Amino acid sequence: MGVVLRNLQKVVRLRRARLRKDVDTLRHILGVQKFDVGIVCVDNHRIQQINNTYRKKNFPTDVLSFPFHEDLRPGKLPCPLYRDELNLGDIFLGVEFVMKQCQEESFDLHDALTVVTAHGICHLLGYRHETEEEWTEMLQRENYILSEYNRLTGRHLQPLMKKCDHSR
Amino acid sequence: MLKSVVRAVGTAVRISSATASTARALPLSCPTLCSPTSATSRPFTRSLWMLNSSNGASSGYRSKLFSSRVLQPSVSCGCGGLHTEGDKAFGDFLTDEIKEEVKIQKNKSLPKMSGGWELEMNGTEAKLKKSVSGEKISVTFNINNSIPPNFEEEAEQGQQKSGEEEPEIVSTPNFVIEVTKQAAKHSLVFDCHFPEDEMSHGEGEDESDIFAIREVSFQPEGDTEWKETSYTLNTDSLDWALYDHLMDFLADRGIDNTFADELMELSTSIEHQEYIKFLEELQGFVKCK
Repeated sequence: MGVVLRNLQKVVRLRRARLRKDVDTLRHILGVQKFDVGIVCVDNHRIQQINNTYRKKNFPTDVLSFPFHEDLRPGKLPCPLYRDELNLGDIFLGVEFVMKQCQEESFDLHDALTVVTAHGICHLLGYRHETEEEWTEMLQRENYILSEYNRLTGRHLQPLMKKCDHSR
Repeated sequence: MLKSVVRAVGTAVRISSATASTARALPLSCPTLCSPTSATSRPFTRSLWMLNSSNGASSGYRSKLFSSRVLQPSVSCGCGGLHTEGDKAFGDFLTDEIKEEVKIQKNKSLPKMSGGWELEMNGTEAKLKKSVSGEKISVTFNINNSIPPNFEEEAEQGQQKSGEEEPEIVSTPNFVIEVTKQAAKHSLVFDCHFPEDEMSHGEGEDESDIFAIREVSFQPEGDTEWKETSYTLNTDSLDWALYDHLMDFLADRGIDNTFADELMELSTSIEHQEYIKFLEELQGFVKCK
């Protein structure tokens, strides 16, 4: 299956082929090509709803991850028993939220979506940032992923997490 | 895939869309429209037959049950047509129905499509046309059969939930996009549709794109018939990267989620107009004006 991409919003004009290619590159870097990932692009209204429903945070955000597997340990890939468990889970991208940030910071939308997706995939693999230690561990992983991504594509992307942040 | 969240909210989507398209449905509570089961209709038929045969055709008795008033028009207008009490009730019903439909009609004129599209109508078929840098793009759809049917349980839930509220009907026609380049021999034709689980109208989560490409093929320009001998690419088993490029190709030509949403609105409006027109014509026919 690979990457299942859904665009459920009409606020942001997305380049689907570019987004898929970037997500595929990230999967390749992490060695999780055999796992499926769902990428769902939504607007502020929708991501706020989801954020409120699942995290009791009633505001829009850039990314929300829903891992398929439970009891994940950061850095350890899930060990699926069946074919349909070859699934990391779903990442909801708040593309409208990300676009507004990009406009404020004059950043390329699809570069930003790559950074945000890298953050989301880390969550699908069990990384968290609720404590200082977790944050350091996740930041290291994001740094690695994006440095590899930059090496492969010639871009200059930086991790999403600048400080210990519990909001995502 | 996508089930981590979607499975949790899938039910909500169905419930939220439950009220759709019952507004103009014939009233479900009307006992005359509840189709009788064969078990209830058979004994009645038989008793009629017994009544008739027991008296015998040769006895000269004709049951009054068989001398229907239908054969004796109660109203006459000199048009040579049949006029019954039923027709009168039908006409009155249509008058009320038309009044109601006109009341809920959002706008007499059709909504405009953004992006410089020109609309051409041919009966129930609509064609949107525009030119982009020498390329001709047309999008054709037919409003007939464009309202998705409801599941019974949805209607029931909807009735309980919505109470007196008028449910919303949305027309989601399949549409065909034709892209013609000056130098190319054939047009590239996309057969598109609105996936059914997108009918939630903004409530809850769902997992489908707003619109999807079903088939792609090269076809002679302007041909109304789909030439079956041309290779047709089915997107069911397509490489997703190719699918995304096709979607980006359409987006570059102004066919994206915004377009699809506006098309839905336009089609809904045309469908409603045509429905009212049909009711008026029906009323005229029944009343023989």
